[in-house]
Amino acid sequence: MTTARRETGKTGKAPRGGGSPRKGEAGRGAPRTLADELRARPDDDLAALLRARPDLLNPVPGDLTQLATRAGTRASVVRTLERLDRFALQVAEALAVAPDPCPYETLRALMTGDADDDPRIARELPRAVATLREQALVWGGEDRLRLVRTVREVLAPSASHPSPTGLGPTVAEATAGMSPGRVQQIVAAAGLPATHDPVTAVTALSALFGDRKRMAALLSQAPAEATAVLGKLLWGPPHGTVTADPASHLRWLLDRGLLLSTGPGGVVLPREVALHLRAGRAHRAPEPVAPELAPVTEHDQRVVDATAAGQAYTALTVVEDLLKEWESGSPLVLRAGGLSVRELKRTAAALDTTESATAFWVELAYAAGLLASDGEVDERYAPTPAYDDWLRLPAEERWTRLATAWLAATRTPGLVGERDAKARTLAALGPDLDRSPAPEVRHRVLSLLATLPPGASVPPATLLDRLHWERPPRTSADPGTEDLRTRLARWALAEADLLGITSRGALAAHGRALVGAVPDAATPVETAAAALLAPLLPEPLDHVLLQADLTAVAPGPLERPLAQTLGVLADIESKGGATVYRFTPGSVRRALDAGQSATDLKAFLTTHSRTPVPQPLAYLIDDVARRHGHLRVGAASSYLRCDDEAVLAEILADRRSAPLRLRRLAPTVLAAQVAPDALLDGLRGMGYAPAAESAEGDVVVTRADARRTPPRTAPAPVHDGPPAPGPTLLDAAVRAIRAGDMAATAERKPTAAAPAPADGGLPRTSSADTLATVQAAVMTGAAVWIGYVNAEGAASQRVIAPIRVEGGFVTAYDHTADEVRTYPLHRITGVAELVDDSV
Amino acid sequence: MTGPLIVQSDKTLLLEVDHEQADACRRAIAPFAELERAPEHIHTYRVTPLGLWNARAAGHDAEQVVDALVAYSRYPVPHALLVDIAETMARYGRLKLVKHPVHGLVLESTDRPVLEEILRSKKVQPLVGARIDPDTVAVHPSERGQIKQTLLKLGWPAEDLAGYVDGEAHPIELDESGWSLRPYQRQAVEGFWHGGSGVVVLPCGAGKTLVGAGAMAEAKATTLILVTNTVSARQWKHELVKRTSLTEEEIGEYSGTRKEIRPVTIATYQVLTTKRKGIYPHLELFDSRDWGLVVYDEVHLLPAPVFKFTADLQARRRLGLTATLVREDGRESDVFSLIGPKRFDAPWKEIEAQGYIAPADCVEVRVNLTDSERLAYATAETEEKYRYCATTATKRKVTEALVAKHQGEQTLVIGQYIDQLDELGEHLDAPVIKGETTNAQREKLFDAFRQGEISVLVVSKVANFSIDLPEATVAIQVSGTFGSRQEEAQRLGRVLRPKADGHEARFYSVVARDTVDQDFAAHRQRFLAEQGYAYRIVDADSLLSNKDA
Repeated sequence: MTTARRETGKTGKAPRGGGSPRKGEAGRGAPRTLADELRARPDDDLAALLRARPDLLNPVPGDLTQLATRAGTRASVVRTLERLDRFALQVAEALAVAPDPCPYETLRALMTGDADDDPRIARELPRAVATLREQALVWGGEDRLRLVRTVREVLAPSASHPSPTGLGPTVAEATAGMSPGRVQQIVAAAGLPATHDPVTAVTALSALFGDRKRMAALLSQAPAEATAVLGKLLWGPPHGTVTADPASHLRWLLDRGLLLSTGPGGVVLPREVALHLRAGRAHRAPEPVAPELAPVTEHDQRVVDATAAGQAYTALTVVEDLLKEWESGSPLVLRAGGLSVRELKRTAAALDTTESATAFWVELAYAAGLLASDGEVDERYAPTPAYDDWLRLPAEERWTRLATAWLAATRTPGLVGERDAKARTLAALGPDLDRSPAPEVRHRVLSLLATLPPGASVPPATLLDRLHWERPPRTSADPGTEDLRTRLARWALAEADLLGITSRGALAAHGRALVGAVPDAATPVETAAAALLAPLLPEPLDHVLLQADLTAVAPGPLERPLAQTLGVLADIESKGGATVYRFTPGSVRRALDAGQSATDLKAFLTTHSRTPVPQPLAYLIDDVARRHGHLRVGAASSYLRCDDEAVLAEILADRRSAPLRLRRLAPTVLAAQVAPDALLDGLRGMGYAPAAESAEGDVVVTRADARRTPPRTAPAPVHDGPPAPGPTLLDAAVRAIRAGDMAATAERKPTAAAPAPADGGLPRTSSADTLATVQAAVMTGAAVWIGYVNAEGAASQRVIAPIRVEGGFVTAYDHTADEVRTYPLHRITGVAELVDDSV
Repeated sequence: MTGPLIVQSDKTLLLEVDHEQADACRRAIAPFAELERAPEHIHTYRVTPLGLWNARAAGHDAEQVVDALVAYSRYPVPHALLVDIAETMARYGRLKLVKHPVHGLVLESTDRPVLEEILRSKKVQPLVGARIDPDTVAVHPSERGQIKQTLLKLGWPAEDLAGYVDGEAHPIELDESGWSLRPYQRQAVEGFWHGGSGVVVLPCGAGKTLVGAGAMAEAKATTLILVTNTVSARQWKHELVKRTSLTEEEIGEYSGTRKEIRPVTIATYQVLTTKRKGIYPHLELFDSRDWGLVVYDEVHLLPAPVFKFTADLQARRRLGLTATLVREDGRESDVFSLIGPKRFDAPWKEIEAQGYIAPADCVEVRVNLTDSERLAYATAETEEKYRYCATTATKRKVTEALVAKHQGEQTLVIGQYIDQLDELGEHLDAPVIKGETTNAQREKLFDAFRQGEISVLVVSKVANFSIDLPEATVAIQVSGTFGSRQEEAQRLGRVLRPKADGHEARFYSVVARDTVDQDFAAHRQRFLAEQGYAYRIVDADSLLSNKDA
């Protein structure tokens, strides 16, 4: 059965449609559904479909009907449409505004227009249709191309979602809700004979609009302003508004159905009319072929490779510097995840680069698994054990590790520093940095560069245009912002330069190998890239040049152990192709602290220097060594001193003194590792009569119970309930209660309840009164005086003009603060009306 | 291993001197990169905007610079750096100061947006006049210097093509009997004359005075020479009378004591910058004659007010002479915009190699303080510390030992503190020259020293500048102005003049160990090492114990 199907599939292959059932199997009848057609497709085509739309495979569909159903789901369709190139998408859009089913010729006419002046469209159209067909977006015979229903729904114009073609609804769709009488009026005005039912009337009208000659005749009578109006709506959006009493030229258009009313004040240009005015074109500018990658600038391939290799080496150095920096100064992980801005700045300063570049390096090391958070309670970022393995690799392999990790990563350091939808700053290493199209875009950018001759580059704008064509953004975002893919592509270009994959905009040979653009399929891309890069990287050197100005110059990268020792012994003064180290007393002391001796250091320098060690340098090392360790610092818990050296010698020799862990610091001083009282007890136990000494050296006279705390205040008494009110408070409270009572009971007149700022008490009213007064104030727009207690419990008086009261809150213009604020009703202690002229 | 040059990311260039292409590379990069350090193996050059503009002024273009870097570089040069260099260089000459036949001095631009940009600057607005056409704007002649200064600060240095007034002609010829200009001096004169105005950088002792004389012989016009002090002024006068057709009567001295204005007038910075009642009374000197040439000696010491006067002298030819473009106050850009770009430069070592200045053996002698001195030092007030350790008694003993060691050689003992010098003079039985010594007395003593009548001279910092002591072969520095590199260069210059018998000069610094004196010395010595003078450090004890070492 399978074999038979495959045969029919092959015989049925039309010369240009590509892989679809056609006239050859007309005898069997055209497929009735997508499932039917899929059933008739050969296995290769089904495989191609599943390759193009892998989401259909998850889970594997039970049968072809299920596959067809799933291919028609909205999510899958949208995903597939997003991955179409611009021309295929334009064709799909054209099909969505064409009749269903649509003969190939009709489609072709929609794409080329009446003029048919672009041979490229005719040449590319079969490819586009084949693509749509392969991806199961279009099915049916060449004479009956059918767009999958969901695709039509997604692409067809609707009031809320205008079609990318800029075409409006058809006459039939636009007149659907119109009264038959109105339709007849239009038909009459358009100069057509009256019909007996609306359906035939609409058909007649559509036919008229679709007929170029009759339509031209009709439009030739149009007033000039009317033509201008049509011109405005021509390329979309097709919707416009009119006043209740439209001007005469609009009237003229409306009467003839050239504009159809969509509701009160709204009009639309029917699709047929627009198509006539567009000379049959569905798109203003069909783009049948991808924009060319031009102008090409040719660089010397060797120069490009060498510069890129130089940058690749720099990349390795930077990553190493970064991780070395974080070995000791591990930055904290933010509670929300990621690296704080301050740490990023600090790291940027340490690496001597910008913050955005630092974000890139940090994310790169993270993506390559060289750094991670340590998961401790006090969570910090630190290099991983994989970093140590990485360090042991040869330079070219270290680079390919980074480069492949970068290519595959979905994390996008370019976003760092921007704000997400909740206006939170996106932190490096933080969450929400993953953008799934990133690897695909990076790969595509590099593969596009790989299509150029070696060493050639094109302006980035051309490259972005090309990417835009291959994967047009679905929704046209507002013109100020770029779509994600374009931004990803920009970042990819910049990052590829930083990594040394490209140089001067041209792909280096090792970059070419990395994206698999080198025809040798046998070796994995990493190996191929590493092999190409290796000879271009500078050989690590085993020597430096020492100079009398106390500098050492490494005229290239150093072998790791040498670089490490030198990094301790001297400060790095300048970096680049070479490294300049400067010896200072501080740096030499650092090396001595690290356990080296002056002799070791001099021997080390003699071994690794091409030039004799200058006398001032040797002198410096000796001079620092002379003073190093001259002063000794240690910790002791107590000391023992005695002017009689013999007594101390005796104590030291006594076996019983062993637990005291005594050490002779000087003839008359011993240091002990036990506390003074233990030392005292121990010595007393040995039969001596020691006295304790204070920090000032006085003898401490010990007394029992002499212990004191530092100065302390007595505890404040804790009362049950509120503290007893003072007379002032009581007085104020009584007055307030009285005032409240008065306010509640008194017959309120606008002037009578004027605030009494002099006594400073808050107005008090019952909550019901408060609500009523405030609501009344909303109605009258009057200002009221309120007493208000804020969240901290501080009371204040405010004059507010309530705007609305809802949900327990009063929104009001606060005269006191001069802005609109919201007050919870329960915090308002009371309210009083104001005298009219007090605001 | 190919090229001799390594380009660093901080825009320094490292040149390996022992490389076979090193000489060619040095010549290629010298026009635009400033030599920063020249120790024995690897020289460091720095590429700065000023350096690049100097190169542009000398007629080099960005392509040459980039080519030089790419051709000699051992490793690939980062593209961004090359782009940056090209962009920086392109900034010079977009604006030009030219003489318009109708409107006089105008600022012209080949790039209209740049002109618009700078005209919007508040600092430029008061300096320019009417807009003549979209690309030209009038500039008041008196603001010629100001506008150049301002534009440089804005990053758009203007090329000054407005030319010079000839000034009052005065016949001056070089009198080359028994001597002649050295080749590099001749190149320096030519470089300056061709460029119009600018700075000639030559090491101390390389004969800068003669470059000045050569320039005057080219100009053949009345000349104003600005020097640092009176002794230096006398020195100039002496040299000019000896080396040119000028006579004593044609040369005037304008200083604190004498106020002569003659066809060639030598004025000191000090008298020019004397301020009385808020004005500079001696300013009229600049207008007292129609000068054809103004010579600035020791440009790196030019006091700030002189820059201000110089801004008004832009129509006259200006020649700056200096040993270094580095100014401790960082006003290099004012030198560039007001006096002119660098016109000639030769490193010390090269001139030394040609035998025009004496090689020097620099030795730092570390003196151990006695225990009581150390205690006193530790308790001294911070501001007194340097003075204390610089003048300790132990130093005196070492100095005496050094003088004794070089007995019979012409020896200078240089110091900062007068009482220390007086004491030393007493112990060494040598005359002391200090601030209060009269000029007549000074010259008498200098003369005696030259004649070899006295062999040891103790001098304070008054001798730092421009005195000529040809036969000093040993200099002993006992204290200095903290860590001034300037001073170190000047003092070394005292012994760098070529010696009659061609033997090596000695330069000793006596330094107290483990004190700030040592730190300052390290700072000064770094400068020496960077100039390519190897130096040794010896312990005073070994020097004292082994006197014939």
